[in-house]
Amino acid sequence: MEKEVTKKTSKVDPKTKIVEGYMAYILEHGQEPASIFKFAKELKMKEEDFYNYYTSFEAIKSAVWEQLFDRTIVNVESQEVYTSYSSREKLLSFLFTWIEELKKNRSYLLVLYGSKKDLKGLLPSEVKVFKGMFKDFANEIILAGKETEEIADRPVITDRYDDALWLQVWFVFQFWLKDTSPAFEKTDAAIEKSVNLAFDLMGKSALDTFIDFAKFLYQQK
Amino acid sequence: MDSNMKEQESIPTSKVQRAAKFITTGAKVGGNYVKHYAKKVVNPSLTKEDLHNENAKDIYNSLSQLKGSALKVAQMMSMDKNILPRAYQDKFTMAQYSAPPLSYPLVVKTFQKHFGKTPDGMFDSFTKSAVNAASIGQVHQATLGKKKLAVKIQYPGVADSVSSDLKLVRPFALRLLNMSEKELDHYMEEVEEKLLEETDYELEVARSKEISAACGHIANLSFPSYYEEMSSSRIITMDWIDGQHIREWLANKNPSQEERNRVGQALWDFYHHQVHELKQVHADPHPGNFIIQDDGKLGIIDFGCVKVIPEDFYKGYFSLIKKDLMINEQELDQIFYGLEFISDRDTADEKLYFKSVFKEMISLLGKPFHVDSFDFANDDYFEQIFQLGDRISNDKMFKKSRQARGSRHGLYVNRTYFGIYNLLNQLQANISTTKPEWLKA
Repeated sequence: MEKEVTKKTSKVDPKTKIVEGYMAYILEHGQEPASIFKFAKELKMKEEDFYNYYTSFEAIKSAVWEQLFDRTIVNVESQEVYTSYSSREKLLSFLFTWIEELKKNRSYLLVLYGSKKDLKGLLPSEVKVFKGMFKDFANEIILAGKETEEIADRPVITDRYDDALWLQVWFVFQFWLKDTSPAFEKTDAAIEKSVNLAFDLMGKSALDTFIDFAKFLYQQK
Repeated sequence: MDSNMKEQESIPTSKVQRAAKFITTGAKVGGNYVKHYAKKVVNPSLTKEDLHNENAKDIYNSLSQLKGSALKVAQMMSMDKNILPRAYQDKFTMAQYSAPPLSYPLVVKTFQKHFGKTPDGMFDSFTKSAVNAASIGQVHQATLGKKKLAVKIQYPGVADSVSSDLKLVRPFALRLLNMSEKELDHYMEEVEEKLLEETDYELEVARSKEISAACGHIANLSFPSYYEEMSSSRIITMDWIDGQHIREWLANKNPSQEERNRVGQALWDFYHHQVHELKQVHADPHPGNFIIQDDGKLGIIDFGCVKVIPEDFYKGYFSLIKKDLMINEQELDQIFYGLEFISDRDTADEKLYFKSVFKEMISLLGKPFHVDSFDFANDDYFEQIFQLGDRISNDKMFKKSRQARGSRHGLYVNRTYFGIYNLLNQLQANISTTKPEWLKA
């Protein structure tokens, strides 16, 4: 069903109606509807019709995350310079744009995630699809980065880079939720600095040279 | 491409990290003292200069990894040559040139936030990487139609971090400047106020326009136009000024004495008009803010730091440059009280000592004003100033005093004049040192 959800073309699409209705409900009531039945009633839909599109609130929330991702990608790719960016800049550009998308839905996100304390440890299940999409995106950049040697190809570790970048995205999200600086300038700074750190770590560094040297010495025995 | 960007490779992020950075430096400086005295036992000929050298290196290394206000303070300290021992100065002067740039996506984002457009959408061309880095922002070059533009973009979060950065610098300033805490607070307020103003780009555009219009009539000066419709609280767009910085100009062009005098005189006239007519002054005369154009005109940029000189401070301060003032003891006392050089809390001994110190300083610093034209190429004169500064700051009586001396307004006015003297010395210029009417008699 994930694939279906991402295609939301026409405006009167019932899926869009449901997602928007759900977000509006959260914004106004500060909590989830009590049941699908009640919510469907509010949307003037039959419950069984509702299930044709979404089978749980979680699925709706998941769709919201996907929407955030899609809009970000569309926006990022519409910028002409994007294709000429290095991997580092692509990720920066993605995050800056993503944060803008989040901003449009800040109240909604705050209701759902603002008060959760265990965000760090436990990933809400509705975010998983978003995570998958992001990791695909991240793998693309990582691959491009390896080709240009912006990112060092290290055995075993390289395969985990996408996870590392995901952790970073999740960090940025949490940082942003708590950010109170005007225009969320601190989040901008956090993105800039953390991405630079990540890419500096992934790039060729003294460590690689050191390992190479250590290997050489070891082989001499 | 720009992946090179050493962009903020390891700029300490949080306040904690920055604090940690400072603590390591503090420890190092402490270590240097220990090392110094240990070495001195073995080799008594070791001078304080060596120690200063090592301290300056460590302090500079840590400051150069910080951006924003900490760097700004480093810059300022590098200006106040007479306060800072020589070795510190040299290192700090380096701080005026390097700070790592912002990434291009963040630049794009800043544009979108403020104008709803990308740089490419606003200009015909726009450099992807910064052509110039300043302490709280960076400059990109752009073109629009036939115009070549300079676009200055502020680092995000700089305005927010001013106060906390200053708190971090405090212990260093205390140590470096040999001041008591009270004395320092007296000035820190002023510094904080000015730094906060500097992060307000809308104010900067307004001031730039005002001052450049008011100084437009002065010969051999040129000011860029500012474009308000392409500026915001974080972005300033102005004309690009082609030319060379003073140091480059001197090295590349090998200008004649006449040319150097002309540039120097333009600089002098510019400040004369601001101080005595406008009573507000471009208080950041560091070499990067002046560009000598191909036609020999002096281009002036960056009105981020403008000091408004209050009337009563102005009167007192500039009365001091009267040549015959030294004779009139009573008038002098009054001015000293007015400028807070001495106060009723001082003992009779202190009063006597500080009066003599300040008299000496004033007669030395006021020298260019006592004559009709002054040769700033005279290195002896500057050596005298440094020596006096060193001597006074090492004097026991001076160190013992727990009092703040000198009005806070003096901080930026002094800095401005040291800056001008310093630039004129670099230019080796001979200047007709004009004075306002009321001081001529």
